[in-house]
Amino acid sequence: MKVAIIGGGKLGYKLAESLSGRSIDCLVVDNDEDVIEKLNEHLDVLTYKANGLEVESLKNIDIASFDFVVVCTGSDEINAIICTLAKSLGCKATIARIRNPEYRKQLDSFKKHLGMDYIVNPDLATANEIVRFISKRYNFYSGDYAEGEVQLIDFPILMVKDFIGKRIMDLEHLEGLLIAAIMRKGNTIIPDGNTLLEEDDVLYIIGKSESIDRFVGYYKLNVTDKIVKNVMILGGGNLSYYLAVKLSALNMSVKIIEQDELRCKYLAEKLDKNVMIINGDGTDITLLEDEDMASTDAFISATNLDEQNLLMAVLAKQEGVSKIIAKFSRPGYDRLVDRLGIDFAINPVNITAGHILKIIRGGKIVSVSVLLGGHAEVTEVAVDEHMPIIGKKLADLGLPKGIIIGAVVRNKEVLVPNGQTVIYPGNKIIVFCLTSELNKLDLFLKPDRGGKLFELRNRNKGSR
Amino acid sequence: MNYAIVIKVLGKIFSVQAVFMIPSLVVATAYREAKDVYAFAATMMILLAVSFITTFIKEKEKKVHVKEAMAIGTLAGIFVSFFGSLPYMFTGTIPSFTDAYFESMSGFTTTGATVLDNVEEFSKGILFWRAFTGWIGGMGILVFSLALLPALGIGGMRIFKAEVTGPVTDKIVPRIKDTAKTLYVTYVVITAAAFLLFKIGGMSFYDACIHAFGTVGTGGYSAKQIGLQAYDSTFLHLTALVFMVLSGTNYALFYALYKRKWADIRGSGELKLYFGLILGASLLIAADLFINGTPFGQSLKDAFFQVGSVTTTVGYAITDYDLWPSFSKIILLMLMFIGGCAGSTAGGLKIIRLFAMLKLVKREIRKTFHPKSVISVKIGERALSDDTLFGVAGFVFLYFLTVVFGTMIITTQGVDLVTAASAVLASVSNIGIGFGAVGPNSSFAFFNDFNTWVLSVLMLLGRLELFTVIAAVAPKRWGYE
Repeated sequence: MKVAIIGGGKLGYKLAESLSGRSIDCLVVDNDEDVIEKLNEHLDVLTYKANGLEVESLKNIDIASFDFVVVCTGSDEINAIICTLAKSLGCKATIARIRNPEYRKQLDSFKKHLGMDYIVNPDLATANEIVRFISKRYNFYSGDYAEGEVQLIDFPILMVKDFIGKRIMDLEHLEGLLIAAIMRKGNTIIPDGNTLLEEDDVLYIIGKSESIDRFVGYYKLNVTDKIVKNVMILGGGNLSYYLAVKLSALNMSVKIIEQDELRCKYLAEKLDKNVMIINGDGTDITLLEDEDMASTDAFISATNLDEQNLLMAVLAKQEGVSKIIAKFSRPGYDRLVDRLGIDFAINPVNITAGHILKIIRGGKIVSVSVLLGGHAEVTEVAVDEHMPIIGKKLADLGLPKGIIIGAVVRNKEVLVPNGQTVIYPGNKIIVFCLTSELNKLDLFLKPDRGGKLFELRNRNKGSR
Repeated sequence: MNYAIVIKVLGKIFSVQAVFMIPSLVVATAYREAKDVYAFAATMMILLAVSFITTFIKEKEKKVHVKEAMAIGTLAGIFVSFFGSLPYMFTGTIPSFTDAYFESMSGFTTTGATVLDNVEEFSKGILFWRAFTGWIGGMGILVFSLALLPALGIGGMRIFKAEVTGPVTDKIVPRIKDTAKTLYVTYVVITAAAFLLFKIGGMSFYDACIHAFGTVGTGGYSAKQIGLQAYDSTFLHLTALVFMVLSGTNYALFYALYKRKWADIRGSGELKLYFGLILGASLLIAADLFINGTPFGQSLKDAFFQVGSVTTTVGYAITDYDLWPSFSKIILLMLMFIGGCAGSTAGGLKIIRLFAMLKLVKREIRKTFHPKSVISVKIGERALSDDTLFGVAGFVFLYFLTVVFGTMIITTQGVDLVTAASAVLASVSNIGIGFGAVGPNSSFAFFNDFNTWVLSVLMLLGRLELFTVIAAVAPKRWGYE
């Protein structure tokens, strides 16, 4: 499979990183020499310095030979033009990033007339994730799989002080749950029974939703019974716009603090009356106090500055707001946000990359989420009869250490698998996989081309 | 620096080198040369044993950063040459370690300089190995290892850059592993074509192999003392010329040819300059030779062959050009500096750097008249950034410095200036033949041990294009870490 990425910014880079880890040939086009250089220095992908708007360049890279063209330059309009050109030159499918909410209502006609096959909207996708988090009881991140039957939660070990200094096999009340990974000082560790837990660790636990609830209840993890009613949002960008629309639809009262007066007026025009728009500096503590930050139920910092977002979130936490959410986009910050005490730090790039990966991998992949600062992905797969993983005990599959099958859903029932579990066609599996092992994961999910030899080859490749 | 990963990658390269010894082992067996068979078998055992030991080293981090890649490139050059010299010593062909190491380094750097006189006396197996080292060195043992071994990811690209020639190294297909594979397939196909034509032209199977390796790898080894002069066949000489010129071009262009991307080939400014340079230099020399009394046809043939041989740094000779008039000799000397295209198997400064420097000079001249003008230096369609240009300028200057200092060191041992300078140039540019006492019909055997070591180091410096080696051995306080 061949994928061209036009625009090598944060999203383009993340996608290229994820795709090149698989057996997908990846070409990145950008017209900035520095971007090209950075890609060449750090990723094993082909680069091409050109303006994606030039038909000549698109022809030069033989755009017709690509299965997917992902267009993620900085501008919606340029993305649209490139999609139209690429499609007219014969590429099989295009994926465009479109941000402007005003285009929201006409996406169908875009798809029809402008040659866009798929459209991803990072702000909308991020807003959806945040809304999901806010309407939940947990004060830490959790992801839903298999229509909510399976959950993945991550929380700093400080929430359960009992665990510190213990080996995983000595932990109690983990029935039906699996510690899939540990994030320790920015590194991801796949633990086994002997792994010793340390003070700074962040645990990733996957399992049946009921078991997760029981676990959370038993250890009294930070859970609020309070339903969120008031939300304060810092910054009035597109993300805040979507958030305001969605949260006010859930009857929450929303307050947006935005510095730019024109933008405030725009938001006031476009948004529902019960969303309050406040024109002021969101880092001005007196303003925040005046607006009664301490009594809001949730605080979302969503300005364009990562540092401001993270610091204001920490501040809000200190003031006693119960749910703290911060948006950030620099990949390097992934490694530290877990230690800042922010309940939910969200990186729109990861969310969007997950959506695009799902489109590209297509077929039986139900969802893909990028986790742990891009070190790992959780994939939900509907197993069919052509995949090499069926009919064998998990212990005999020779799965590498970085690939964990966290749950198997069979006839609406969720199993936490062990070495004896066998996967059958029609099952759904939730796979936790380190980015470095993604190409091996694909070997296990690729349709079996039949023949013992092929299977043998697969297995050797997989276990190497 | 992450020493563990460096040693691990080196270990894998050693096992690749053991595999590379198989053809020589087969040849030695076929010719029933018992001593050679034992020598190759013993060397392979040693290589595999060393490689096996390195597998026990545990690396904390799998990443190969720039510093590690430089170290891998340099150490691979040093150790591969060391193990490559063992067969020469085991068979007694070259008893002295210094000389054997020189011969091996000369092979792996595609220099093709030799300490052997009366080559025909030596066994077929050893001579095959000697020619084969020149072939491996052409595309490089690191590149081959990248094609074969499990992906090192982006670290692979860094290793690739350390070995592939030229200022800007591009991949031709998305994955570095596949790029390395594609390059090697191209290389093998061209070698096979050269072999076939040599065979058709009347060489024996064995000689056709040796000369195909020598031509395409740009090493320039032969199993005959007088090389291609032994064949009085214009067809063979022409075949050699064509394949030398082909090997001096960028291998990425063969892939473009295969993919029918004519625009890439037409747009290659380097290629045009390369052909122009060969044509112009050959015609000048031919005219000079003709005026000085050589028959017309022979002037043309000798001029083209010698220009092709020197520019592509192969180092074959079909005439004693040391007897040519000075004007022709100075042209050859100039070509020795320049060498072939970037991304080829040839050595030297590389045409593209010369091209960039010429354009830079042009820009500076224009700037004296229009100090405020903004001029972009372009090669073909591609504009070179100032960073690249300064890198090239630094490289060219360092190249001259290396040659000058190298010559100074060699002359301390009482070697005359022409011999010393051309021997140094022949080593740094990986040509293998020079003027005076290292002329086309003589060997490097007369150099004393000290000079032999100096020349070995110069060959490695030249093959890895100076910066790789210098960065790898630079002391920490220079701030390269």
